Amino acid sequence: MDAVDAMRDLVAFLARSLVDDPEAVEVAVVEGDRAWVLELSVAEEDLGKVIGKEGRTARAIRTLLASMSARSGKRAVLDILE
Amino acid sequence: MDELDTKQPQDGALLVTPDATKAASKTDGAAGDGKAEDAAELLDEILEMMDLDVEVLIREDDERVVLDVEGEDAGRVIGKKGQTLDALQFLLNKILNRYPDGRRHIIVDSGDYRERHDKGLENLARREAKRAVAEGRVVTLQPMSARDRRVIHLSLAKFEGVTTASQGKGTQRRIQIIPARRGGRRR
Repeated sequence: MDAVDAMRDLVAFLARSLVDDPEAVEVAVVEGDRAWVLELSVAEEDLGKVIGKEGRTARAIRTLLASMSARSGKRAVLDILE
Repeated sequence: MDELDTKQPQDGALLVTPDATKAASKTDGAAGDGKAEDAAELLDEILEMMDLDVEVLIREDDERVVLDVEGEDAGRVIGKKGQTLDALQFLLNKILNRYPDGRRHIIVDSGDYRERHDKGLENLARREAKRAVAEGRVVTLQPMSARDRRVIHLSLAKFEGVTTASQGKGTQRRIQIIPARRGGRRR
């Protein structure tokens, strides 16, 4: 499986595990200039669940993505759509 | 006779060997709520999605669940300064402790990484506390997580001649080691 697909799957999996409304979770993959952008959208009421206090949850997800990026050489950044 | 015959198997069923009792108590009560297994399964799933070649072992006691990640890719699971390990631990606790009932803190470790890390923090704390006393000035440490700051505060609680405080906000919060006497040996 492509490295970017694996990253998208991980983001989707984590987001679905964190929110109250997993069916509203979507992750779009957009090719950017220097990196792939994973655009995460969730139900409005669940935004806080994927961002976390002081952005800690989002930061933890980004840390895992960075680890995957370092290995595959394909950089992906997480963008949480509000 | 009859009485004995019916009693014996019952006794046998209740009086298990000491070893078996120990094993049973490990899966009963707090340690038997299935949380450790749920956590291990979830962590395993995440690590597999990250394509990391490791296995997850459970070290559990009554209070806490420790998931021990071992294998070829253990270094990657730990990450730079333990960042990946901390991120995994944070997310696991967020997901598994979403509901107030049955909350248990889950620790993600790899071998003795956390123990070695804490020892390193304690050594740093002692070294910098000595410096604060010798130079008679406040020593400010690098930004650290709340957990790491706690290790340092506790390790210096009994260190003569200094007090500790935290300064700054969020991820920039740092420990200050404050000597009781400013200006050091000159005063």
